[in-house]
Amino acid sequence: MILPVLLPFIIAIFIPFLSKWKEKFHTGIVVTIVPLIIFIYFASFFAGGFSAVTKTYNWVPSLNMNLVFHLDGLSLLFVLLISGIGTLVALYSIYYLHTTENLGNFYVYFLIFMGSMLGLVLSDNVYALYSFWEFTSLSSFLLIGFWNHKHASRYGALKSMLITVFGGLSLLGALVFMHSITGTTSIQQMLADSEAILNSEFFPLILILLLLGAFTKSAQFPFHIWLPDAMEAPTPVSAYLHSATMVKAGLFLVARFSPMLSSSEWFFIIVSSFGILTLCWGSYMAVRQTDLKGILAFSTISQLGMIMAMLGFGTKVAVFAAMFHILNHATFKGSLFMVAGIVDHETGTRDIRKLGGLMNYLPMTATLAMFGVFSMAGFPLPFLNGFYSKEMFFLSSLDLSGQGDFASIVASLVPYLAVFGSIFTFVYSMYFFFGTFRGRANLGKLPKKPHEAPVGMLISPAILVLLVVIIGLFPSFINEPFISHAATAVYGADASKDIYFWHGFNLPLIMSLTVVAFGTILALTIPRWSSVYSYVPGVLSLNKAYDFTVDKSVSFSSKLTRGYMNGSLALYMKLILGAIILVSFAFFFLTDGFAIDTSQLASVTTIELIVAVTMAIAALGTIFTNNRIAAILILGVVGYGLSMLFIIYRAPDLALTQLIIETVTVALFLLVFYHLPSLNSRGESKPAKISNWIISIGFGLLVTTVAISSHSSKWFDSISSYFVENSYKLGGGDNIVNVILVDMRGLDTIFEITVLGLAAMAIYSLIKIKNKKEE
Amino acid sequence: MSNLAILPILLPFLAGVLVAFFHKNLIASRIFSIIATVIHLALTIFIFMSVQESGTYVLEVGGWEAPFGIVIVADPLSALLTMTTAVVATAAVIYAPKSLSRIQEEFYFYSFFFLLIAGVNGAFLTGDLFNLFVFFEVLLMASYGLIVLGNGKAQLRESLKYILINLFSSMLFVTTISFLYSVIGTVNMAQAAERVGEVEQQGVLTVIGILLFFVFATKAAVFPLYYWLPSSYTVPNAVVSALFGALLTKVGVYSILRTFTLIFNYEVDLTHTLFIYLAMFTMIFGVIGALSTNNVKLIIAYNVIPAVGFMLMGIGIFTETSIAGSIYYLVHDMIIKAVLFLLIGAVTYAAGTSDLKKMGGLIHHYPVLGWMFFLSTLVLAGIPPFSGFIGKLLLLQGGLNQEEILIVIVALISSLGILFSMIRIFIGGFWGEADIMDLPKQKPSLAAMTWPVGILLSLSILLGVGAEMFYPAVSSIAEYVMDPELYIESVLKE
Repeated sequence: MILPVLLPFIIAIFIPFLSKWKEKFHTGIVVTIVPLIIFIYFASFFAGGFSAVTKTYNWVPSLNMNLVFHLDGLSLLFVLLISGIGTLVALYSIYYLHTTENLGNFYVYFLIFMGSMLGLVLSDNVYALYSFWEFTSLSSFLLIGFWNHKHASRYGALKSMLITVFGGLSLLGALVFMHSITGTTSIQQMLADSEAILNSEFFPLILILLLLGAFTKSAQFPFHIWLPDAMEAPTPVSAYLHSATMVKAGLFLVARFSPMLSSSEWFFIIVSSFGILTLCWGSYMAVRQTDLKGILAFSTISQLGMIMAMLGFGTKVAVFAAMFHILNHATFKGSLFMVAGIVDHETGTRDIRKLGGLMNYLPMTATLAMFGVFSMAGFPLPFLNGFYSKEMFFLSSLDLSGQGDFASIVASLVPYLAVFGSIFTFVYSMYFFFGTFRGRANLGKLPKKPHEAPVGMLISPAILVLLVVIIGLFPSFINEPFISHAATAVYGADASKDIYFWHGFNLPLIMSLTVVAFGTILALTIPRWSSVYSYVPGVLSLNKAYDFTVDKSVSFSSKLTRGYMNGSLALYMKLILGAIILVSFAFFFLTDGFAIDTSQLASVTTIELIVAVTMAIAALGTIFTNNRIAAILILGVVGYGLSMLFIIYRAPDLALTQLIIETVTVALFLLVFYHLPSLNSRGESKPAKISNWIISIGFGLLVTTVAISSHSSKWFDSISSYFVENSYKLGGGDNIVNVILVDMRGLDTIFEITVLGLAAMAIYSLIKIKNKKEE
Repeated sequence: MSNLAILPILLPFLAGVLVAFFHKNLIASRIFSIIATVIHLALTIFIFMSVQESGTYVLEVGGWEAPFGIVIVADPLSALLTMTTAVVATAAVIYAPKSLSRIQEEFYFYSFFFLLIAGVNGAFLTGDLFNLFVFFEVLLMASYGLIVLGNGKAQLRESLKYILINLFSSMLFVTTISFLYSVIGTVNMAQAAERVGEVEQQGVLTVIGILLFFVFATKAAVFPLYYWLPSSYTVPNAVVSALFGALLTKVGVYSILRTFTLIFNYEVDLTHTLFIYLAMFTMIFGVIGALSTNNVKLIIAYNVIPAVGFMLMGIGIFTETSIAGSIYYLVHDMIIKAVLFLLIGAVTYAAGTSDLKKMGGLIHHYPVLGWMFFLSTLVLAGIPPFSGFIGKLLLLQGGLNQEEILIVIVALISSLGILFSMIRIFIGGFWGEADIMDLPKQKPSLAAMTWPVGILLSLSILLGVGAEMFYPAVSSIAEYVMDPELYIESVLKE
């Protein structure tokens, strides 16, 4: 089973070479064959009764990250959709995309998407699923940005990526959580151990994270805003990714986990209400669109909402209807997108205000569109598959019984909202069809003179429409081998169901008729009530909220960052020292680290006292002087004082070294400082001065306290006694310091010398390069 | 065999000194440098392999027995990091001639380069705190040399801040070592671990540990100590920035990892919890910084910071899984940061500007560069199956196993921010109309720049896709790191 998943990736490698001959041989031809092979492969699983299959291929077994492919009813439905629609879309794209386009890139993205999507729906391993999930987002990003010379493409690509990757990351959070709780990375085993997850104190968080992943991907309100902008992609992509397959990944995810989640009341409340809200909002907003693909985008949003809601209901009928509608939606929406593509291709525009009356010019296309549109509207006719699933949706919306207070409110509202959303579905369907194909033709406004599309372009939508009709006429044809398996996999128990056209004159039918009646009236009177859009949503717009967030995240970041990264070393040092002081003192208190022990101290002689006091005064003096030269001279006093101390403690060699260093540095500093401006030139404000004081004293205090405490906690014998004992015996030298420097710790010395050498080279190269530049 | 341990220090040290003698002869310098880095690479691979097989090598330098002399300890962690350093160094040295001006190359670039590597390897390998200070000095002084190489105005301005802040942290380092020496009477890390353990890190020891942490955190660019980093990483040449981005902060991270798993591991509730919070802020402010600018070099430089947050997160969570995550992330980050700095060097070279607002449509002229950049964006953002994902996954798992929810959420959001900051470069710089920029008719070839980067990038991808080849080793290193007794025993045997 790994081969069909990898096949698209493998072929993708060869596409760039193949596309070199695209003038003579359209790259899409090869690409069409790939999903066809995959489709045939998976269709063969029907032979001899279907049962779930699991295959494991090791990838990173030490991290429990493997390619485990689990083919059950649900994944079978999806793989057939992906490969089936994939074949038709690839075929369609041959006629849609001219060979002057960058076909190599297009088909590489296309195949990467296909492979990832197959992997996504087949994966039983959560990390493999996540990997494929992100890859579908990325390939979608690249496909939306295919025409990246257009600003709108770039905008749409970024938007879809930010929103879906945001969802992907929260999905990752949920998956890692569930892995951490159950200790397994297999979805099937997680489902078997669902009690552990449901009873976890983190369950609400897991649920939210998981649903964020699903809702962003499946364009649920309020995350739906990326989908309309994704219409910038070439139309085959919109038909494939953004209506038939990728956007259903969220539905797939919810369906996959619903045997576990559906027992949770909050799952019902959240998923049903977001689904139904999306249904209503999407269909309501679709009528407002003027771009054909825009209408279809909002239509897709709304239909995804409907399926999501049914998954939220979680009843047997609802789950069955959801699976059924996933298939139906792919057929009629796929064909409608292709119709929109044809209209665009043949007239040069997708603006419905310019279109109209195309029935006479594109009769075939119009016929195909008609079937698609009426199926989408759920028109009660026995040869339209959309009606069946719509009817079941109404049915399922009626037998809900919420358990908690909140759940029962949701349950009681659902039927009304379902009808409301469906009325607008009817309206935009009619608007789409009649606006494009009926009415008066206005050829003057069209960029091109319209004529019927080439046959090749009509094949794919025709096949899809044929499916609409066949499923409509013989629903049992796909029911038994197909839908009921999927529904059973999602429901967790047998969920097979018979599909009838005529149920008797019952409530769902009345709802359908209501939809048709009100829908017709509203569709005929769109201009009269369209002013309603200036109230709802009015000026409020989620897109503005998105733009605001993205723009603000950049402008806020630069404002904040520029605020403290202002290039001032003084500020940086203040912040660094401040942090060190605060945290270190906090740890002093927390660990009770302060210690003072005076028992080991020797008495202080007068000379020591004098030297020490002199040094202290000199050190203070450097702070208060305004003259650099004076400061460096006073600093010299500190250094000489130190060498005095070395003499007192009988370390003449150190004293000598210190004296030399001090003399040299003072001399050097004097030379350098001569060239620098005087100190008091920078006037600091009073608060700045005060904070400087606080930080200086604080840091001094810190070092002093640590020094005292360290000195008072001598818990071990120092290793220095070893040096005293062995410097002559093993090192052959009387002077311990020398032996340490050149032998015992000779490595330190070598590299300290290296440091000096490096400094010398750096300075030399600075001077040399400067001279060369000046030449 | 234990002499092997010091070779990754000595070899670049000698190479750096030798190459200075014929620095004006560029052809010879280049050939010599490439040969030396390749030998160095082979050597470090060999050491890593044999350490995996036969355990830690300990060299008591000059025959002065531990804990009295200096020990060089090539344990699995150090060997892994020196090997990664060698990989980065090899790519950098191949890339360098195309990127550097003649004068920069002539004036001791290769010497500074080799001594930087010597310093970095020394820091990874030493088992002695004072010696660690010395190697810090070596690598810092070499980096000073590199940062001012070319003597540009901006270079001098930024290097001053870099030098002063790092000098301050060096002073604090040596002071803190003396405090520690006063309490436990040793600078040998294994013995320090033993002795701190004996008194269960009581009294002032935790504060000393925290001061050491701040020293390393300054080098590692942890919040709130990273101010010196962004600008100073953008002013030098791309190859220098790549070396800095790949190696310098990682030495700091390594030092934190080493000291707070080996020595200061008795007040984990306090110290390591602090790390988790600092890691969180490091991620947040790093990402905010990366989003704050249109200077592509600066975007990459800011992206160094959140990565440090990720690694610190693993140290803070302090379980085998999370430490494995940090180590995996460390190796991944060394490679991908080199890739990004080198790539962005090629981008600015091709575009003639580093201002994103002035760029556009580059992919039509430089498709290879564009796709390499896109891939490295995915690697950096931790998209599976690339290397960033493996480390991130382990860190998330470690975090959730310990119920550290907040940091996990911040880490996830940071990933999105990192991706956003990088994809802005891709969309703004590479996408767009082909003729939006006024590029010269004769496009300069970038092949000499892209192929060494290509090798690094493939390695980075392999590190993710082929994680099975690497993870077991990293996992066993994490196990080893979490059991400090093993280190102590191998240094202070008998």
